[in-house]
Amino acid sequence: MDLLTTFRTQGGLGRCGAAILCALSVLVVGCGDRSPKSAQQSASDAAVSSAVSPVQADGKKVLRIPFVVAETGFDPANVHDLYSSIVVEGIFDSLLTYDYLAEPAKVVPKITTEMPLAEDGGKVYTVKLRKGIYFSPHPVFGDKKRELVARDVTYSIMRHYDDSIKPVWRFLIEGKIVGLDDWYAANKKAGKIDWDAKIPGIEEIDSHTIRFRLTKPDVNFNYVLAHPAMSIVAREVIEKYPNDAQANPVGTSAYYLKEWVRGQKIALEKNPNFRGGTWDFKPSGKDPYDEILVKQMQGKPLAQIDRVEIYPIEEEQSRWLAFKDKQLDLINIPGNFSTQAIPGGNLAPELLAQGIRLQKMVDPEYTYTYFQWNDPIWGGSEPHKVALRRAAAMAINRDEEINVIRKGQAIKAEFIVPKGVAGHKEDFKSNIEYNPALANALLDKFGYKKDTDGYRRTPDGKPLIFRYNSTPTALEREFDELYKKNMDAIGIRFESEKEKFSDAIKREKRCQVKIRGAAWIADYPDGDNFTQLLYSRNIGESNNACYKSEAYDKLYEQSRVLPDGPERDKIYLEMQKQFEADTPWAMGVTRLRNQAIYPWVLGYKKHPVLLAEWMYMDINTGKGK
Amino acid sequence: MAAYIVRRLWQIVPTMLGVILLIFFLFNVVGGDPAYLLAGKISNPETIANIRKQLGIDEPYYVQLWIFIKQVVTFDFGQSWSTNEYVSSIFATRLPASLMIGIPLLIVEAIIAILIALGVAYVRGSLTDRAVMVSCTVAQSVSILVYIIVFQYVLAYKFGWFPVQGWGNGFFENLFKYASLPILIALVVSLAPNIRLYRTFLLDEINQDYVRTARAKGLTENRVMLVHVLRNAAIPIITNLMIQLPGLLVGLFLIERFFSIPGIGREVILSVERSDFPVIKAITVYVALATMLANLAADLLYKAVDPRVELK
Repeated sequence: MDLLTTFRTQGGLGRCGAAILCALSVLVVGCGDRSPKSAQQSASDAAVSSAVSPVQADGKKVLRIPFVVAETGFDPANVHDLYSSIVVEGIFDSLLTYDYLAEPAKVVPKITTEMPLAEDGGKVYTVKLRKGIYFSPHPVFGDKKRELVARDVTYSIMRHYDDSIKPVWRFLIEGKIVGLDDWYAANKKAGKIDWDAKIPGIEEIDSHTIRFRLTKPDVNFNYVLAHPAMSIVAREVIEKYPNDAQANPVGTSAYYLKEWVRGQKIALEKNPNFRGGTWDFKPSGKDPYDEILVKQMQGKPLAQIDRVEIYPIEEEQSRWLAFKDKQLDLINIPGNFSTQAIPGGNLAPELLAQGIRLQKMVDPEYTYTYFQWNDPIWGGSEPHKVALRRAAAMAINRDEEINVIRKGQAIKAEFIVPKGVAGHKEDFKSNIEYNPALANALLDKFGYKKDTDGYRRTPDGKPLIFRYNSTPTALEREFDELYKKNMDAIGIRFESEKEKFSDAIKREKRCQVKIRGAAWIADYPDGDNFTQLLYSRNIGESNNACYKSEAYDKLYEQSRVLPDGPERDKIYLEMQKQFEADTPWAMGVTRLRNQAIYPWVLGYKKHPVLLAEWMYMDINTGKGK
Repeated sequence: MAAYIVRRLWQIVPTMLGVILLIFFLFNVVGGDPAYLLAGKISNPETIANIRKQLGIDEPYYVQLWIFIKQVVTFDFGQSWSTNEYVSSIFATRLPASLMIGIPLLIVEAIIAILIALGVAYVRGSLTDRAVMVSCTVAQSVSILVYIIVFQYVLAYKFGWFPVQGWGNGFFENLFKYASLPILIALVVSLAPNIRLYRTFLLDEINQDYVRTARAKGLTENRVMLVHVLRNAAIPIITNLMIQLPGLLVGLFLIERFFSIPGIGREVILSVERSDFPVIKAITVYVALATMLANLAADLLYKAVDPRVELK
């Protein structure tokens, strides 16, 4: 299951278990008091704490973290779940990465000497690889250190066109690089892949220089090069394990896979061939905690942590108790324990007393409920249909969703580009706010009259039903209840349509799902990654509302060729207006991430885009290093 | 005896064919299309078609069914769709953890349940009997989920008697450190219904004439209960124990999940969540096979404990 898009499908056993525990824990330990200390204060306390890690295996610095879901495998081109991607990022290098502290997220070189320079209006990018980037030792390399060279970059990109590995990230480069799609077509025709082919759009100028030629200007290409799926692999390793590259990751980044017991434990250790580097980041100026991080880490060699141990623990209670039992060094506080752990938004006193630090962050994402544009009742641009969608959007009580269903751990999404993503407009307030009275008036005005049963019918007398598609989970049942209440308030009959996730996606791609909740988390922190969700050429791919608007498309195409800046922001505002005018979605929420971190973890700040921050962190073992 | 065993083994074939058809039907009718799960965030029809081709689910149904039958016959279910791990490897690496919980549980639970049942059957109608029966009724009315949550919180986290969760690398480390609490919870859950059941079996025997005769012969109560009564009640007890055997494979999925034990039960949940058909069908086939073999073993044990039983 694609974890990035199934925000509402989590729960099941975990929710049930946690709900019971919550009830029991109230009986056993009572409710936590509101802390007089602010989270920031606790952060400061933690920073000066001399607490040391309870685990120091063989004098090594060990970081222990949980996964919410078991991993699947670590082949960059084939990894299709978030958690496996985290490990991929820890093992492999992509060409570019993100500044650890910069806000908003900023792309910086990782294994290149400098940022690729966009030439020819964004159609040509030249990348210069750093020398001395070596893959971690592996028998396939013999006794020699294997350096990463330009051909590895070409090969790693070409792998996204190897159908046999079921690549899932091809969309990032499809149609973008000159000659790549033609090479794929030729391979299909020939029935075999020519791995030695030269791709016109990936010119290897020398062993450490590559020039990308794009089919059209793309100001976001650097984001593609920073994506973990574009990580660089060694061809000889992939060919050594033709059926199981997933289990044999060999990369150039700070860590290598030392031990893997599937679904139970992933242990990474420091890559002896790691290039090194120095921790050198500047505070963002937006988060006071950055100063503490800089104080803790500035000037230290990168990759202070010797070993990273990852434990997939699916159940929320088990995960939370393991953290409290000091089996884990940090945790994303499980939703069902947030009221215990952070009552009133502050860390519970018992956690504060242990020096635990709370880090709150807003994920670069949002949720939304879309209305099928092709539906004869809910879709289309006729005024009465626009009024219907707008009325439904205005009837959905997002405050209740945030407070009751999400236990306060979310904020309203207002703009089509979410917070933390380039192009987001701070302080923007949508015109479509919760207002059932106005929604009722709107429906009355456009002829949606109530029948004798109290429910409205369409202007031409047909039944009007808010048929909400969702999976049969406990969380979705809560949404069913909320939406039913909200729709009843404006006289629209609510029906729940339960369907398996894969079936819903299948129908969604064919524009057959009427109304459904969805979510999108940034693949890269640029507005384009979100505004494309409404582009009509993406129908059948990411435009799940099947929304079609010439005006929006035109604006989108204008925005695509512009870099982040005031000119593009202006276009985004126009797109937002068009979006609100048509209301193909009811905007949902952006979820908050609450990290609890033990005081011996140094240098840690959850990055909005980076998945594995381990090389920038340290563990206080009480000994110098 | 040999002819009986051969005949029973032969009967497995049509049963297994029925199981294969049922699994195949369920997967294709209600199983969903895994290609959409594996396709990632942005997929187009070409990507979906390619994944379907790689998984072999674009083949006609009869071809897919034939491949499935061949897999069952050869016990080679190929690779997991989501992790590429060989299904045989999944069994080899996950089964030991499930058995490490299941086998001690089965043995300890059988011994304790039988002994308690014998005791309360002997003092039937007494305050002790009534107290045990009421306790059993209450205990079996509580969901296993509650036991897991409370025991994990109180015994592991609050008292620190057991690890909150986890699994190690060594046999004894796992058995005595990590498996103890899961076994204890499973024991508490399974004892209550089994004590009630075995008590009923034993009471049926206690009222028989041969018991009265044994007592009239002057046999001690221990001999009457442990030899005569228990032996005659053994057939339904064996049946019950044998029925529980296939549960060793997947029956402890909740416990495995809560305690992060890398067992087959936890793998089943993961596979269902991922629509990982090769793993699901292998586990289903093996559970069906285990059930049939357990039934055969029960029949053979009947003969062993009671020579009057004839195997035809």
